[in-house]
Amino acid sequence: MQSIVAAPGAVEACGLTKTYTFHAQAAGLAGAVRSVLRRRYETRLAVDRIDLRIDRGEVVGLLGPNGAGKTTTLKMLSGLLYPSGGELSVLGFRPSERKSDYLRRISLVMGQKSMLWWDVPAMESFLLHKEMYELSTHEFDRSVAELAQLLQVEHLVDVQVRKVSLGERMKLELMAALLHRPEILFLDEPTIGLDVVATARVRSFLREINRTRGTTILLTSHDMDDIEALCSRVLIMDHGRIGYDGDLGELVRSIRPGKLVRATYAKPIPAGTVVDDLDGAVQVVEVAGEVLRLEVSRERASDALQQVIRLGPLVDLDVTDTDIDDIIRELFSRESG
Amino acid sequence: MSRKGVKIARELRILRRMTAANIAMNLVYRANFAMFMVSNIAIPVISLLVWRAALASGARLPVGKEYLTTYFVILSFVTMATSSWMAPFLSEDIRLGKLSIWMIRPASMLHESIANNLAEKALKAAMLIPMVGVMWLLFADAVRVPGNGVRWLLFAVSTVLGAVLVFVLDVIIGALAFWLDDTSGINRARTLILGLLSGAIVPLALMPHWSQGFMRMQPFRFTVSFPVEILAGHLPAHDIAVGFGVQLGYVLAVCLLARRIWSAGLRSYSAVGA
Repeated sequence: MQSIVAAPGAVEACGLTKTYTFHAQAAGLAGAVRSVLRRRYETRLAVDRIDLRIDRGEVVGLLGPNGAGKTTTLKMLSGLLYPSGGELSVLGFRPSERKSDYLRRISLVMGQKSMLWWDVPAMESFLLHKEMYELSTHEFDRSVAELAQLLQVEHLVDVQVRKVSLGERMKLELMAALLHRPEILFLDEPTIGLDVVATARVRSFLREINRTRGTTILLTSHDMDDIEALCSRVLIMDHGRIGYDGDLGELVRSIRPGKLVRATYAKPIPAGTVVDDLDGAVQVVEVAGEVLRLEVSRERASDALQQVIRLGPLVDLDVTDTDIDDIIRELFSRESG
Repeated sequence: MSRKGVKIARELRILRRMTAANIAMNLVYRANFAMFMVSNIAIPVISLLVWRAALASGARLPVGKEYLTTYFVILSFVTMATSSWMAPFLSEDIRLGKLSIWMIRPASMLHESIANNLAEKALKAAMLIPMVGVMWLLFADAVRVPGNGVRWLLFAVSTVLGAVLVFVLDVIIGALAFWLDDTSGINRARTLILGLLSGAIVPLALMPHWSQGFMRMQPFRFTVSFPVEILAGHLPAHDIAVGFGVQLGYVLAVCLLARRIWSAGLRSYSAVGA
């Protein structure tokens, strides 16, 4: 008789928990003196018994407000932090043991921490990775050429890193992280501070790497567009818990089906101006001076915009999805309610 | 080659690449480097001049002009060769979470510090040795070193062990940042204690008579003074043998301690920042 066993996921976590201990100190001189004489320690739960499974080849976004626990989760998965509790397996390894065979199969890119030496060209750091990951000269040359071409940085690999722009540096960081062809790529805010062009390049590069190499990608970002552009699945965290695990579009539609419209007119909006609610599809959020804010259903967005244009000469018009922080707040207030 | 041999060969290749990169980085800032060199040799030269002036004005010291001159000429090289500056940098890397960038790569996190130490010393030696040579020539009348090659070999081995001792002590002090938010006070104390008890500022032979027993056995003597004494102090063979035993013992003890502290520290590492 044959038994059917599920293939191991790239990441499997069960009850994963992390607590931090820190000393609390009241503000001011008196607080500082009291802290010297009698120190008070507090414990904070950063990640609270999360269960998680990510399959090979998936691109998963980890979303959440500041302090939600997403970076802590990423650090536990990459082996930087010891979990305080629970079980964690990544590619069959326990990350906190930081075994060499494990570290050769993963990569972590932190938007605000550089893996490159700043005072010498990026190629010096790449050559170091060649030794660390034991790449043959052929593998190394092929990887450098392929990645440099995909990221369009052929002309930058021999330039002192401190002389390149932020966006260019991020591309070089990604190159360094991918030279050894990791099976899992952890990305922490990969597009933070980048301009529109660099952001688009990085996103298309990550899509390409996932498609051609089958690299599993787990990324955190505050940028909703990053997640929308890259992730087939999102995990939304708050207060150390995963509040949602699934498709982002579905989440947005289920919580806030509408779009936000912000119209700024050349003159103040006259008192008593009537906005047709289009059978309940339009809701006025705010009228203040020259600014009108509406929430409109996706299906009637075009009708609502025509109405907005007819109200007077416009200076600015902004149509956006609901802010992710609002969605997260709403999601968690529903849970706790 | 055995599995262990392959691993060591790989570690050495990584270290060589890192040392080369560190030499390249140091050469970027030439003026800064030259200033470091001048400050390195300044303390032994000034100390030598002060002690010679004291002798010339009739001070009664337990050692003579030849001992002092030879001591400080040799010292100017040994202090550089055994120096380490990593403790504050390591503390900062731990405190600000910069250690993370090395922890996620398959190599020891201390490679970078070792490479930085070796690279700077290689460059410093290239500049310092001619300066020590000039100092030697200037005070040639009072420099007395043994012509015996074995003594020079023992001096070299002892200097390397001294360098390891200082470096590992720095690892221990730097690693305290895993538990303490601010280690600058400890770093300052380390600089003061090491300066005084290693013999880098005042030869240990000039310390009070009643403290000589302690001075001979305390660990800091073996970071600087002991190698210098091998050449300048005409130590008898028995004292050299005992000294090597104690020095080796200290090296092994701090290595074991550092290993325990480091692995306990990693469990407490909070990887601050994104």
